[in-house]
Amino acid sequence: MRIPRGELRRSRVVDDAAAVLRAVLDEELTGYVVFEPQDALLLGETTRGVVTFEDGVPVLAYDTEREVGGRDGLEGFAVTGPTRAAVHAVDADALADAHEVEEFRVPPGEPARVLAGDERLAERTTDAAPAARREEGRDRSAVEAFLADADAIEEIRSEAREEARARASEWGLDDVLADDVGDSAAIEPGPDSR
Amino acid sequence: MVEAFAVASGKGGTGKTTSTLALGMALAEDYDVTVIDADTGMANLLFHAGLDDADVTLHDLLIDERDAAVSDAVYERFGMSVVPCGTSLAAFEAADPGRLRDVVAELAADTDVLLLDSPAALGSKSAVLPVVLADRIVVVLQPTVPSLSDGLKVQEYAHSYGTDTAGVVFNRVRPDENVDAIAEQAGRYFGGQTLASVPESDAVRAARREGKPLLAHAPDDPAADAFREAAARLDVRDGDGRDVAERFKSAVAPERI
Repeated sequence: MRIPRGELRRSRVVDDAAAVLRAVLDEELTGYVVFEPQDALLLGETTRGVVTFEDGVPVLAYDTEREVGGRDGLEGFAVTGPTRAAVHAVDADALADAHEVEEFRVPPGEPARVLAGDERLAERTTDAAPAARREEGRDRSAVEAFLADADAIEEIRSEAREEARARASEWGLDDVLADDVGDSAAIEPGPDSR
Repeated sequence: MVEAFAVASGKGGTGKTTSTLALGMALAEDYDVTVIDADTGMANLLFHAGLDDADVTLHDLLIDERDAAVSDAVYERFGMSVVPCGTSLAAFEAADPGRLRDVVAELAADTDVLLLDSPAALGSKSAVLPVVLADRIVVVLQPTVPSLSDGLKVQEYAHSYGTDTAGVVFNRVRPDENVDAIAEQAGRYFGGQTLASVPESDAVRAARREGKPLLAHAPDDPAADAFREAAARLDVRDGDGRDVAERFKSAVAPERI
């Protein structure tokens, strides 16, 4: 993938890709961010990926080491832990050609979702995207991929369970908590047990 | 008999209020239905039900010194008993969420089905109470990742309080979205059944502008048909109003957030 070289705005190591994506969204960057997960570096591997942006909204993602783009590309550099993020600004016209490479495009909220696991930011990014691009966020395959990831869903659910219990104490609702809510992932369909 | 359903979504914009009133009107064909706007912080049911100018609302019942009778806040509209909530921020702040329990218990004594239009949030006691008080929840989802994710969260909160899932309504479904595959996958995580897939419809906005529930404004619209289908699939259970009242009484310590 060819992206015109941009003007480096800043380069720093961050704990969370969400912070970078949020800042880029707020400043409505047109350009690209190079992500280099630091853990991989320690292991002697190079992992590096690029996400391009138009007015703060992600357009393309590309794993420069594996040479894979799009959502699969994103997953290549979605590594937890500190990441060096180098933010570059590029003239919008200069990026236009690169942005036409259909197979590297990602829905606006996808980098926040995949790189940072941040649904709220994904949603905010989608809301900030032009109308035509918001539709991409509703692409059915993203929903199906989300639902197919049973581990990720169990994580959402177990976090919500813990949060519900913690807040019940805060709100004095302790004594109405159900005793029998187990840790099982599956809910049996059919008659329920109240 | 009475069964209390919280109509919940976790996320705004899924059409929860539209769904609550549509399910209410459809269920009112067979049952005595009472609809309560339990979204006390961001009430909007009154606009959907032509009750913008209601004198007494749920807020008055939740504020100690207002001294209003529950029946003063009940309006017979569209074949249902409707309890709207006011939109004043001051009233919301003065309201004691714990009193919702007594209001709901009193209303439960005299109806078949209670529908609680619940807040699209989980961050406060007043937002969570409808889900705590209900027998079961109906989760209103859009076929999007954020909506499914928030729906899962609200379901976990409900289950933590022993409130089961009656079913899921996929709402605002666009023509190019085939919800069947998504519903089948989602069924692994959501309890109950898929009640309906409701198509996105201009009639919903028009109904809101006119201050009428969808089923009153456009009874023949495909979205209205889908909501009737959802109501028909909802297996309303016999409950004892006194049990509900008792449970509520023992449930919630009446305290401010």
